[in-house]
Amino acid sequence: MLAVLAAHAGLAVLAGLLAPRLGPRAFYVAALAPLSGVVLALAAAPDVLAGRAWGREVPWVPGLDLTVALRLDALSLLMLVLVSGVGTLIFLYCASYADRDSPLVRFAATLTAFAGAMVGLVLADDVILLYVFWEATTITSYLLVGLSDEDRTARRAAMQALLITTLGGLAMLLGLIVLAQQAGTTRLSEIVAEPPSGALVTAALLLVLLGALTKSAQVPFHPWLPAAMAAPTPVSAYLHAAAMVKAGVYLVARLAPGFAELSWWRPLLVSVGIATMLLGGWRSLRQHDLKSLMAYSTVSQLGFLTAVAAWGSAESAVAAALLLLAHGFAKAALFLTVGAVDHAAHTRDLRLLDGLGRRMPVLAVAATVAALSLGGVPLLLGFIAKEEVYTAFAEAEGTFATVALAGLVLGSVLTLGYAGRFLWGAFAGRPQPSGAEDLDAVPAGERAVAAQDVHAPGAGLVAPVVVLAAAAVALGVLPALLDPLVSAVAAPYPGAGEPVHLALWHGVTPALLLSVLTLALGVALVAARRRWGLLQRSVGRVLPQALDADRTYDAAVYGLDSAADVVTGRTQSGSLPRYLGVIALSATLLPLGGLALRGADLAPGVIVDRPVQIGVGVVIALAALAAARTSSRFAAVLMLGGVGYGVAALYVLQGAPDLALTQFLVETLSVVIFLLVLRLLPRRFPVQTRRSRLRRAAVAVTVGVGMTVLTLAATSVRVRPSVAEEFVARSKPEGGGLNVVNVILVDFRGLDTLGEITVVLIAALGMSSLVLTLRRGRPGADGPHDAVRREEPEVRAP
Amino acid sequence: MTDVLTGLARTVPAGVLVGLPVLLPLLGAALALLLRRAGTQRAIPLLVLPVMALDAAALLLRADADGPLAVQAGNWDAPFGISLVADRLSSLLTLVSVIVLMVVLVYAIGQGVADAADERSDRVRVVFHPAYLVLASGVSFSFLTGDLFNLFVAFEVMLTASYVLITLQAGPSAVRSAMTYIVVSLLASVLFVTVIGLVYAATGTVNMADLRGALAEVPGGVRLSLALLLIVVFGIKAALFPLYFWLPDSYPVAPAPVTAVFAGLLTKVGVYAIIRTQTLIFPDDTAVTGPVLLVLAGATLLVGILGAIAQNEIKRVLSFTIVSHIGFIVMGLAFFTVAGVAGAVLYMVHHIVIQTTLFCVEGLIERRTGTSRLDRISGLTHRSALLGVLFALPALSLAGIPPFSGFLAKLALLQAGSAVGSWVIVGLAVLVSLLTLYSMALIWGSAFWGSPSDVVPDEDPEDAVQVGVRTVPATMTAATAAVVLVGLAIPVLGGPLYALCLRAAADLLAAGPYVEAVLG
Repeated sequence: MLAVLAAHAGLAVLAGLLAPRLGPRAFYVAALAPLSGVVLALAAAPDVLAGRAWGREVPWVPGLDLTVALRLDALSLLMLVLVSGVGTLIFLYCASYADRDSPLVRFAATLTAFAGAMVGLVLADDVILLYVFWEATTITSYLLVGLSDEDRTARRAAMQALLITTLGGLAMLLGLIVLAQQAGTTRLSEIVAEPPSGALVTAALLLVLLGALTKSAQVPFHPWLPAAMAAPTPVSAYLHAAAMVKAGVYLVARLAPGFAELSWWRPLLVSVGIATMLLGGWRSLRQHDLKSLMAYSTVSQLGFLTAVAAWGSAESAVAAALLLLAHGFAKAALFLTVGAVDHAAHTRDLRLLDGLGRRMPVLAVAATVAALSLGGVPLLLGFIAKEEVYTAFAEAEGTFATVALAGLVLGSVLTLGYAGRFLWGAFAGRPQPSGAEDLDAVPAGERAVAAQDVHAPGAGLVAPVVVLAAAAVALGVLPALLDPLVSAVAAPYPGAGEPVHLALWHGVTPALLLSVLTLALGVALVAARRRWGLLQRSVGRVLPQALDADRTYDAAVYGLDSAADVVTGRTQSGSLPRYLGVIALSATLLPLGGLALRGADLAPGVIVDRPVQIGVGVVIALAALAAARTSSRFAAVLMLGGVGYGVAALYVLQGAPDLALTQFLVETLSVVIFLLVLRLLPRRFPVQTRRSRLRRAAVAVTVGVGMTVLTLAATSVRVRPSVAEEFVARSKPEGGGLNVVNVILVDFRGLDTLGEITVVLIAALGMSSLVLTLRRGRPGADGPHDAVRREEPEVRAP
Repeated sequence: MTDVLTGLARTVPAGVLVGLPVLLPLLGAALALLLRRAGTQRAIPLLVLPVMALDAAALLLRADADGPLAVQAGNWDAPFGISLVADRLSSLLTLVSVIVLMVVLVYAIGQGVADAADERSDRVRVVFHPAYLVLASGVSFSFLTGDLFNLFVAFEVMLTASYVLITLQAGPSAVRSAMTYIVVSLLASVLFVTVIGLVYAATGTVNMADLRGALAEVPGGVRLSLALLLIVVFGIKAALFPLYFWLPDSYPVAPAPVTAVFAGLLTKVGVYAIIRTQTLIFPDDTAVTGPVLLVLAGATLLVGILGAIAQNEIKRVLSFTIVSHIGFIVMGLAFFTVAGVAGAVLYMVHHIVIQTTLFCVEGLIERRTGTSRLDRISGLTHRSALLGVLFALPALSLAGIPPFSGFLAKLALLQAGSAVGSWVIVGLAVLVSLLTLYSMALIWGSAFWGSPSDVVPDEDPEDAVQVGVRTVPATMTAATAAVVLVGLAIPVLGGPLYALCLRAAADLLAAGPYVEAVLG
């Protein structure tokens, strides 16, 4: 299994490297990747169908319980057949579809990487590993949807798919983490076998399901899927029909055996599924673009699948397995048909396609088979699947099952309707204009593309469709071929007993009657398509636009962008004084809060040694006040100098003459430099409003008072002797010097001094470079002012 | 293998091992000032940094095998003299930082910042190499010192070098932006000195190991207020909300290699200081500091990423993501559990590498297109697929997309948060991941997709950095590719690396061996 994943990775790189040389033929090489998945499926099938799952474990980050744990059981096998089997056909199709000038390197490499991620997703047994591959599919999908990156709609669609599925993905990650913690294991198989319970588990499951529902485009997260049709058609066929969007359904089916009995599980998931099914079908019937029609049809079928997979009984599991296969084959075939038609006619608008069936009969027949299988017509795989669905819900107890069944029947009628619309649109001839209003008539100013205008698609584009259609026929006629597989898939469910026997004819059962009813209503819907179209249009006009999930997405993104602008505009003002104010207030209020919370004594032993200190203190305070109040820069500089000299005087009084000397020198130098700079500046400070002055005063007072309180508190609590006493004691005997400060600077704490010398040196170096640069750059600019100002605080005595 | 290497590391005296990352680059800086010939000057850091890297690796092996290595400067016994201490966290961060410094040095040389022909650029070169080495010294000094005042000195060494580098080739307008950075940093320094004064007043010591015991005897109110003041002081450097406003205003004006180093290292030194001081010297205050840090982390995460979304310039987007993701690291610390702190350490390693990488790539983009503005660049993948890959890998990692380093680090934090039931911050972290992805996708969709745009002429042709020249020197691309590969190595080595983070976190929370190594 690891080899298959490695093959995908290696071939992705190889395909990227070969694409410039080989052109579209690089896809033949890349096709070896999904082919290796098919080989794996075939090799493992005997064991897996006998109930013996393949497993493989390699530790990755043991500390995070993260293991590359792979497990191939029946459900994984089923998905692997879809992912790799259909994948191989799509890769071969790509070789004929891709143009030389399309961004082939990205296309081939990314598509192969996606195939690998998908294989990993269905094999992962470690929940976190599951998420790893899950996001890998999201990213590769983003790149593939944006393949036509010069097209604005493609970029928007890529972003939408990315955001919605990642939103779900991240929710899922969180859910999986919690689920694993509650279960005490990260193995998916073990969690499902012994499901944990409790409120946290419910929350975790809801988060995980959010991931599943977004990935599988369930209401109300569905709009990304139709938008993602901006991708090349084979990509849509693979990602957005056969493989990636099934990941959500797969996850629901994975969890259902353990959790379907929870009281909220079925009502929630089955309702969402059926709502999606009906909405997708309804929308599908109004599309003119064949690809959009298919996209909504996929939304609808994903709803169908989710509802059935979520039901979580042994019978419904069989039905879900069949439905997965039937839909995968049929939908991939139909998408590839759209691609072939588009390739030949250069349009996908069903109003413009006129009688193409005559030109491409093989394709038309194969597509018809696929569409009928989708619609659940007998002798095809889709019929078998639908029969099983009806049986499962008809035999289930409770009113909810009945209501759900009704919804599913209604959805199936719509399915037949759009299957018919697709065939009619792609291949049938246009009727003559009859005068009655027809929404599907050729729009004014356009010209229909008739059969004689187009060339027939090449064999490379038709053969994969034929193979897929043939598979639907073969399994539809001989459903017993699937008995072992579906039995094995249903085995983990409670109540699964004897092996399942699928057959074309079960006798006259409620399911058969419902099938007949579905067919009859479906045919009627196709026959009355013109009147139905008018009806849908009138209904659509009445519905409020708020129900449009796509608009909600746009509004959310717009809201996010605006919120970002507003918040950033408010916080990032660009005003340095404001930044400094916020910092100073934080540095004051937060510690004061701490002090208030825990309480403190403000009783320092000694505040004043000698009365003269009070006098000096008053002088300092007055000078500071004056510096703040004056409007003359010159006066402010002098007053600041006064503050500095006052502090130096305190040092003298404290008996620290060398410290005082340093302080005097620094202050003198600062004042001189300031005065030199003043020549370049206006004489007065800019005039401030009263409010701004008050605000600044308030900040200054708060910070000053706060720092004083902190100082008083901190100096009140000393219990130990300080290291200073030891400095004094050891200075002479060990440091060999009488001046303690000197010994500290050059010996006891010499490393500090080394650092400070470095600071001074590097500052001088930077300054000289700056002054030289600015002088050469623009003479007379105010640069030197900046340059000199920054020197001042640098000259600091250590 | 590891045993053999550890044995080899044991043959080097501890004093050399611990002192070298601080002293060798200073020596190199002095030499680079004296020997100014271009070739010689360039050779000095190219020799010094690899030696530092080897030394840091040896330190890490030793610290991991034998516990914290403490060295007393000048043999003055602690707490009397200054202690340098290399424990698992210090040596790991030193190693990662030196690796990043090495790669960016090569990048800078390739860009021509460090080495160009005309007279003006020549002057830049003469200053660049010494300043760069002093910065390297300051960063490892900050990680290795075990003394609070010495940490202040280390900060000053690092910051002064950063002032020089940020203004190195700036025109007048850029100098004005750099002023924001310098003035805010100076205020932070003033506050730092203040808090050291208060700590000393309350305890009579500044040795961090000694402070652990000394502060335990200090009444709760004073101790808590000191802890909170230190958070604010370091929070300015670390760019925590609401103290980060300076960062997005000043980082984008510096030339790419300088911004790359700043982005990777400087904020992380601030975060490191928060982690070190809060775990080592304030272990009894986590009941309050934990929630406070959690609130700060949440606000930083959210406001930072909203800022990123609102920008129209790649450099500014990236600058805001630095801010935002600091929130992730602080969130891990705020849990004060082994898993949380280990997640924070892993996130730090990831973020140092990835954020540096992204700024390197930004430099390549600017070199090629002449601008960093998203509305003027488009279609880069059509011009260079390689550039697309070089951006995409670190961008996905930053957004926490698996299997890249950002994912592992985020997973570790989410698991830690979920284990303690901190649902609000966990939910916020998940939301911010989504928004980070959005901001990266905005860059991708705008700059890399679309029709290829024309080259914008160099707005400031006089400065040493040439931009808008279509071609990119191979050295710059190679250096960027190298740092991308370093980022990719993180998830590959995820198992042993996270195990190391767990051990480092256990060290931090227990702190016994650290204190014992210092005080004996």
